[in-house]
Amino acid sequence: MATVQVSEAEKVYILHGIRDDLRVDGRGCEDYRHMEIETDVVSNTDGSAKVTLGHTAVLVGIKADIGKPRPMVPNEGYLEFFVDCSANATPEFEGRGGEELGTELSNTLYKVFNNKHSVDLKGLCISAGEHCWVLYVDVLLLQCDGNLYDAISVAIKAALFNTKIPRVHISADEEGGKEIELSDDPYDCMRLNVENVPCIVTLCKVGHRHVVDATLQEKACSVASLIISVTHKGTVTCTRKVGGGSLDPESIFEMTKAGKRVGKALHAPLMKLLQQEESLGKTRQKVGFLG
Amino acid sequence: MPTDTKRVRGPEVSQSPSLFLCKPAAVFPSHGARADGRQRDQVDVRPVFVRCGLVSQAKGSAYIEAGNTKLMCCVYGPKETERKDETDMKCGKLTTDMRFAPFSCLERGSWIQGSQDKDLSLMLHESLQPAVCLHKYPRSQIEVNVMVLENSGSVLAHAVTCASLALADAGIEMYDLVLGCSIRQDGASYVVDPSYMEENSCSSVGSKNQGGLTVAFLPSLNQISGLQSDGEMTEETLTAGVRTCIEGCYKLYPVIQQALAKAVRRAAPPPSES
Repeated sequence: MATVQVSEAEKVYILHGIRDDLRVDGRGCEDYRHMEIETDVVSNTDGSAKVTLGHTAVLVGIKADIGKPRPMVPNEGYLEFFVDCSANATPEFEGRGGEELGTELSNTLYKVFNNKHSVDLKGLCISAGEHCWVLYVDVLLLQCDGNLYDAISVAIKAALFNTKIPRVHISADEEGGKEIELSDDPYDCMRLNVENVPCIVTLCKVGHRHVVDATLQEKACSVASLIISVTHKGTVTCTRKVGGGSLDPESIFEMTKAGKRVGKALHAPLMKLLQQEESLGKTRQKVGFLG
Repeated sequence: MPTDTKRVRGPEVSQSPSLFLCKPAAVFPSHGARADGRQRDQVDVRPVFVRCGLVSQAKGSAYIEAGNTKLMCCVYGPKETERKDETDMKCGKLTTDMRFAPFSCLERGSWIQGSQDKDLSLMLHESLQPAVCLHKYPRSQIEVNVMVLENSGSVLAHAVTCASLALADAGIEMYDLVLGCSIRQDGASYVVDPSYMEENSCSSVGSKNQGGLTVAFLPSLNQISGLQSDGEMTEETLTAGVRTCIEGCYKLYPVIQQALAKAVRRAAPPPSES
């Protein structure tokens, strides 16, 4: 992860502030930074979203391809995740430097979505055992200022909401094989139900308290963090402890409770915002990357 | 895709014959006794066999067998860091590498590290790092290599235990042994230390709590150094699961301590009374 050098005096200052529920930028321990979300930013994709959380910027593009279903589950489609840490974010990511972080992020995303209810995989099947939709979710890190997991999960949820998968029609051709026809109307497409897509909350243990949405400075003062992915109903789909320190079982239970509370509260405003953006339709002013 | 050009593999489109078996996939019942006679909903871990000092060339090594899961770990170090630009002046570096032998799982795996191996290596690293006194080994590197010989469930949990035992056998200073335990939640009941079949059985009922949880624990300090869960569970189930895993670790602790004491006594027998 991109790190900053923090002096001992700064560490003490941050620690004491958090102990009194006051962080360096004035937030409370469970407040997020200013978040900006915009969908449909890349026209070549089937769905895309850009999320800016403080100074962290993440761009997600989703492309739907027709592929062969996995042998063990012939009537389901699947998702493939790939996270690319671009060298734009920090010089440490140049060349293969960002590969380790990218693999860690992708593997966690696989775990987060590894359950039956997050995405309706059966709806992605075209014909059992032969054709299915494969959604390639590609995440690009543009700027890195801490809390990558949260920004990525919100961006993925927004991009999945924005994804338009074209409707296909299977017909039998002369030799008895199957022919796939895409419908002629470019607006005739299938949308995904993203109600159950989880959001990831990262809680960093700083001193005796935990903080949500830590900046790089706060991360440098913490020994360990807990990543917890929560759906809108409060179900936990994945937890993981990251960092080189150890945690007390009681603090883990406390952080899980807090994570569930914060995660649950994140979903309703997010869905409302996405629906509002969608309802603007053609009148929406696209901000893009220059705003 | 990285390919292994030195070994002859089957054609790309070939599939394992087990996929074409006529009988339906065994759906494990979520109640009743488990296949190997252990109890559900109780902290019933498999009896373990551990031995230290198997590999004479390594600084420290350990072998663990739990049911049919067999793995071995070797520790090399403290030695000079391989990449000079990564040398840390103040504390040592711990590198972990966890690999599966191609014959370890039901499906033949490849020697090239897939993303699952890298993921497990990373979690092993996060579980071991809090326990090792790295500040006592500045400018050095300690290498931990785990090889899974047979995968019959709870591989990460046993790898953590085996690795911490190998580190102790190598004489690396640690705050405490790290023990791992995992459970699999299936609906309202759970099984501790699941076997491969129990871990991967896809329950046909879309019940609410379904998932696996692995915890790495330092018993005498009462600290959790590693936690990993997937599937979908409620927060209460998760909390209860963590408590169960901690109990499982306490059950294993005396066995591991005994094995370590035996290894030390064998290596340096106490002076006889003369």
